[in-house]
Amino acid sequence: MIRTLGLAALLAGGATMALAQAKTLTPGQEVDMVLLPKFLGILVFDQAHEGAQEAHAELQNPGELLFQGPTPENSVAGQIEIMTTAGTQGVGAVMLSNNAGDQIVPAAQAAQQAGTKVVTWDSPIPNGQGEDIFIAQVDFEETGRVMADMAHEIMGGEGQFAVLSASPDAANQNAWIASLEEVLGADEKYANLELVETVYGNDQSEESYNRALALVDSHPDLKLIMAPTTVGIQAAAKAMQDEGLCEQVKVSGLGLPAEMASYTLNGCAPQFALWDFRDLGYLTYQVAYGLATGQLTGEEGETFVAGRMGEYTIEADPGREGAKRVLMGPFTVYTAENVEGAAN
Amino acid sequence: MTRVSPGALRLLALVLVLLLVGAFFASQIENYLNARLFNRISSSVAIVALIACAQTLVILTRNIDLSLGAVVGFTAYGTGALVTAVPDLHPALLALAALGIGAGFGLVNGLLVAYAGVPSIIVTLATMAIFRSALVEFSDAQSITTDSLPDWLVAFPNLQLFAIGGVQFRAAFVAAVVIVIFVHLALTRLRPARALYAVGSNPEAAEMAGIDVRRTVLAAFVAAGALAGLAGLFFLARFGNITVVAGLGFELKSIAAAVLGGVNIFGGAGTVVGALIGAILVDLIENSLVRWDLVSEFWREAVLGLLILSAVTGDALLMRRLQRLRIRRDKAAAPVPKEATP
Repeated sequence: MIRTLGLAALLAGGATMALAQAKTLTPGQEVDMVLLPKFLGILVFDQAHEGAQEAHAELQNPGELLFQGPTPENSVAGQIEIMTTAGTQGVGAVMLSNNAGDQIVPAAQAAQQAGTKVVTWDSPIPNGQGEDIFIAQVDFEETGRVMADMAHEIMGGEGQFAVLSASPDAANQNAWIASLEEVLGADEKYANLELVETVYGNDQSEESYNRALALVDSHPDLKLIMAPTTVGIQAAAKAMQDEGLCEQVKVSGLGLPAEMASYTLNGCAPQFALWDFRDLGYLTYQVAYGLATGQLTGEEGETFVAGRMGEYTIEADPGREGAKRVLMGPFTVYTAENVEGAAN
Repeated sequence: MTRVSPGALRLLALVLVLLLVGAFFASQIENYLNARLFNRISSSVAIVALIACAQTLVILTRNIDLSLGAVVGFTAYGTGALVTAVPDLHPALLALAALGIGAGFGLVNGLLVAYAGVPSIIVTLATMAIFRSALVEFSDAQSITTDSLPDWLVAFPNLQLFAIGGVQFRAAFVAAVVIVIFVHLALTRLRPARALYAVGSNPEAAEMAGIDVRRTVLAAFVAAGALAGLAGLFFLARFGNITVVAGLGFELKSIAAAVLGGVNIFGGAGTVVGALIGAILVDLIENSLVRWDLVSEFWREAVLGLLILSAVTGDALLMRRLQRLRIRRDKAAAPVPKEATP
């Protein structure tokens, strides 16, 4: 059984539906688009690309959809460069999963001035400048609650746990951890869960693996490692399994079913969550196409139909003042019961 | 009184630094000195030692190889893809494939450096990016996952060969140490391998002495590539999940380990055993910093850099002082034997 969360998002969608007529996008208009991931060679970004390609075909855009990203060791500088080039070449929209923090702002603003729409997805621009809109995969507040719930269930309501994140300047990671801390502090239910440390594995197997082991060494009573990154959760689970620590320290967070199935089945990582990156790419493309062709204005409260995914509304981003977002949601929580089906 | 060679003196100094660093962190971190620490460090040193050894071979010839991290990443992925496609592949063949892939990359570097005469820092800076991009292209955004690997491979790094109390000697670590010792013996005993030192100390003199300098440099790069390829296979076995970022930053780690281990960055001097101890030192510092509360995540890299710098500087100063001391002592001691033997 798949447990779905993010009811709030659905309710919000329903409420605005009554207020405004949803816009339907007219296909066939020509506009060049660039999909810019954090870097190339990571499965989830490729899945997002597939989703964008699907939307590209569906909307019969005679223009080009380019999948351009930096190489891993050159992520920040490469993203800025591709953004700058896209602006000068006058493409209609850049769809960005930002890995460059606020450093991307000047390049993004220059692109906007040249008439390019900047649509972020997966990871936004932290201060919201240089960005037209953010396609949020899930409510960032919701992420904190989902992680807190998984921790609560796995740990039986009490004990110490730690967070293994990606890089210290990944906007999405930091927002999720902040929301986790907020949920932990606000709700009495989690009073006995103690977040003892946050460490960073920079989305590298090797670093994440070593960080996970160091966490166990530093905190003898640790019961759980929460890794909101697909690379980190897998490395942590492998580390616990290799050192025979699975009985003592569990692993949870955000992971890919295909990579996590064996660890979920053997009990190292009893629960983890994720959303569909294909859908995220599909929705992002729909919004970017609408904005670039002038069919969407990008105003708050604007409602539109995103192809097979149905209606969405543009709203204020609660996490970033002055920024706007479209919220996709919801989460899927994977357990031993549903992980195998999702892995194939 | 027996004379200690400068090389042995250097190794002794390194071990001293290693103990000092260990003692320092032991005073800072609770539950620090135990068998677990040894198991942690030895498991990750297995990989770093191989690339430190590889880097040493290249640095000895007055060159540098910045592409090692990319070679590790590509081989980890390549051998992973190979064993996924042919699950029954014999372990020896897989190891051969790893060595072959690595040596192939090393050959590209070596040819460009030795025969086209392009400075190695430029060649390998370029090939670092090219090899990494080739991996991105080759991988097609798919990652290698642990469940697609044969059991023997996944079990290999943690296979316990023998144990003293809680201190475990695991297969990958023991294999890496054996390889380092083997390379060390080759470098000290085999004539063609000794040519690396000759070329690094003085290329002109080496040429005059009949050594083919170009071929020697080429051989150094090919051997380094092969070792990095083997490190890639170890990486695959240990981490299982391989994406295109595998081995990112290993070039810096390998240089740090070699230089800390007393390998002269200007070529011609140093040992792979030193590089092995350097690798242990780098790993010890890195692992300990993660557990040291005083240092925040953002400063960790900087502190690591600072510690490396001070270790290198301290090592250099210590060596100079010891050598000066010995010269003085030798001078003082010199007249004595003359008088004693009429």
